[in-house]
Amino acid sequence: MLNGKHITLGIETSCDETAVGIVADGREMLANVISSQIDIHTEFGGVVPEIASRRHLENINSVIDMALDEAGITIDEVDLIGVTYGPGLVGALLIGVAAAKAISFAKDIPLVGVNHMHGHIAANYIEHPELEPPFMGLVVSGGHTNIINVKSYNTCEKLGSTRDDAAGEAFDKVARVIGLGYPGGPKVDKAAKNGDKDAVVFKRVYLEQGSYDFSFSGLKTAALNYINTERQAGRDINVNDVAAGFQEAIVEVLVDKAVGAALEFDQKRIVMAGGVASNSRLRELISERAGEHGIEICAPSPVLCTDNGVMIACSAYYAYQAGERSGLDLDADPSLEF
Amino acid sequence: MLILAIETTGKYASAALISEDGRFEVAESFEQMNHLKEIMSLIDESLSKMGAGKGDITHVAASAGPGSFTGIRIGVTTARTLGQMLEIPCVCVSSLEGMAKRAFDYAEANGCRYICPIINARRHQTYAYIAELSPDMKHYVEEKQYMIEEIIELLMSAGEKVLFTGDGIDAYESIIREKMPEELFVLAPEEIRYQSAKEVAELALEKVLSEDVCTYEELMPEYMRLSEAEMRLKEGTLSRKISEANV
Repeated sequence: MLNGKHITLGIETSCDETAVGIVADGREMLANVISSQIDIHTEFGGVVPEIASRRHLENINSVIDMALDEAGITIDEVDLIGVTYGPGLVGALLIGVAAAKAISFAKDIPLVGVNHMHGHIAANYIEHPELEPPFMGLVVSGGHTNIINVKSYNTCEKLGSTRDDAAGEAFDKVARVIGLGYPGGPKVDKAAKNGDKDAVVFKRVYLEQGSYDFSFSGLKTAALNYINTERQAGRDINVNDVAAGFQEAIVEVLVDKAVGAALEFDQKRIVMAGGVASNSRLRELISERAGEHGIEICAPSPVLCTDNGVMIACSAYYAYQAGERSGLDLDADPSLEF
Repeated sequence: MLILAIETTGKYASAALISEDGRFEVAESFEQMNHLKEIMSLIDESLSKMGAGKGDITHVAASAGPGSFTGIRIGVTTARTLGQMLEIPCVCVSSLEGMAKRAFDYAEANGCRYICPIINARRHQTYAYIAELSPDMKHYVEEKQYMIEEIIELLMSAGEKVLFTGDGIDAYESIIREKMPEELFVLAPEEIRYQSAKEVAELALEKVLSEDVCTYEELMPEYMRLSEAEMRLKEGTLSRKISEANV
């Protein structure tokens, strides 16, 4: 407790960020420390799980200390430990889970395991103090693409997800194919601003009628085919146009399905989360389309869109309030479902 | 003094406590590769058996490897974080030395001159060393990565009876039998073949008594091998393979 407020420390190590966040009473951000490994993985053209796991181990303890310093508290003032236990890379997840359990045991602090996807949605509670469920969630990142009907703080229903590549993964792959490099999301977004989205048109994949699932793996092949055809014909490739056309193909499908879900389930709000929620064209188009139906759009600022510990702390707080507890036998679950 | 020892580098996880007078308690798992789920409960169990509380722990020791990369990380992260939170020093112990110690009596009873712990690192690779059967268990060759054929050659040229121990036996028994004369080796029976926290605790006690301890930040894994991606980067064969595998 700090000045009568409940303090939660959240740990997130599901992919390539070693992150610890601290919140007061679930929503007030006291610390947000993120140790990114992006420089290391850029060298390899993507996240290498074994290297990510090694770096998490080296970083986690000092990141915890830095977060406590930033919040101006000691571990003895922490009332709850939250930790991502899935989904994610198993070797990466287990560092956070092992550390969280050791803290919980050594300091007698209750522990709650958090679903990474719930965490992403919870990131919105930090910056939008008035936001409360229910709402429609659109979680788009390098590992996930989901449409979630969020009914309350702790209950949500997955309406659809990707059947192959996640949206962020598609950005990374196509960025590599057209020579923009890693990480693909921000690079494609930037290039697309100087391109014409209608110059190179990629097929929109909607799957069967009424489905909220996605399929993005064909886009990489389509981009490769386009580039090969152009090269063989001796034509120059306009990278900005390809980026813009490809981005539009992903964004339009995401927006159509998210808005469709909000309408079908009568939700007045769409809440975005995950790294791809920072994409400027996605934000622009979803605001436009949702606005036509009087649906409000909510998204965290970019720093809370990507993986962080604050969102895990927030999610853990609400789970704890609802009576959830994890034991010392908490395990990592790389393919944890909603 | 009460030292907590953690061993998660092999098939079975275990935790042990040892006091200055050598009194010890061990809690072992019988489930394979379930380390993350079980390790904290094993620590808790060893404390209850010892009739001690976590506040009584003065040092935390981890078997830091070599072994399963994942297992190493679970043990070392747990030990580092306990060290950080309980504000106590850590002790770094070699999994191979623990294995050699575990097999010592059996090797002596079988008239061996050497003990050779071998951990299976796949594709004929092992993490291994050769210890002399002396009270100080002197290293005859250093701890590193060897091809199984290479370590057999070293033992053949030493020419005296050796006890093999470790899960390398499970993987390479047929190679050992094929390349070495029967009278020159003994295989550790399964009861003493795999890593256990008991010997990690005993080695840690020796280290603490000789003031060979470290801070939690200094307690680092001993993988004995770069990750595959780093190896390829070093060899210059990375770019195409990894990026294509990811595409």
